[in-house]
Amino acid sequence: MSRQYEAVYVFDSALEDSAITEKLSRFHALIGATGDITVDAWGRRQLAYKIGTKETGYYAVARFEAEAAGLPEYERAIRLDDGVIRHLITLHEHELGAPPMTPEEQAAAAKRREEDEDEEE
Amino acid sequence: MKMMRRPTKTCPFCETRVRHVDYKDDRTLGRFITEQGKILPSRLSGVCARHQRQLATAVKRARYLALVPYIKGHQG
Repeated sequence: MSRQYEAVYVFDSALEDSAITEKLSRFHALIGATGDITVDAWGRRQLAYKIGTKETGYYAVARFEAEAAGLPEYERAIRLDDGVIRHLITLHEHELGAPPMTPEEQAAAAKRREEDEDEEE
Repeated sequence: MKMMRRPTKTCPFCETRVRHVDYKDDRTLGRFITEQGKILPSRLSGVCARHQRQLATAVKRARYLALVPYIKGHQG
């Protein structure tokens, strides 16, 4: 049975962008994904704490559908790669975060916030 | 109308109709973290039990990915 997964990679920010895309395609070739792999690159950002000597990282998020049997080898390749500082593979079975709000809902939320602020005074 | 106080706090996640808390959204998670980087108890934030459980997992994942600090203001 294939399932939906989400993988977050934190690459060494010293790597070239071309090297990162090359690594990503190398990892993704190992998955044996059924269907498309969507990659969302956040780019370089500050780490919340130093990892070794590194203070920034290049974040990329990938979503794919795959058989569980192919994952250990895929994860092993990531672990062996020195360019990846951190990685996290999670099941992605539900949409995360808030759904987009309709204009009426936004107005209602803004009104509620105002009322809350009044109460605190 | 000062008397019409809402009796209980409502869950901020339920209010925005979040089904599952996103561990990648560090700005939202930041609202539920103390000054030291601890997870805020639900009695202070008003988060419902279901979302508090999800929030705890989300913060822990975000910490591992260095989106959120383990300890704020810690050097080294």
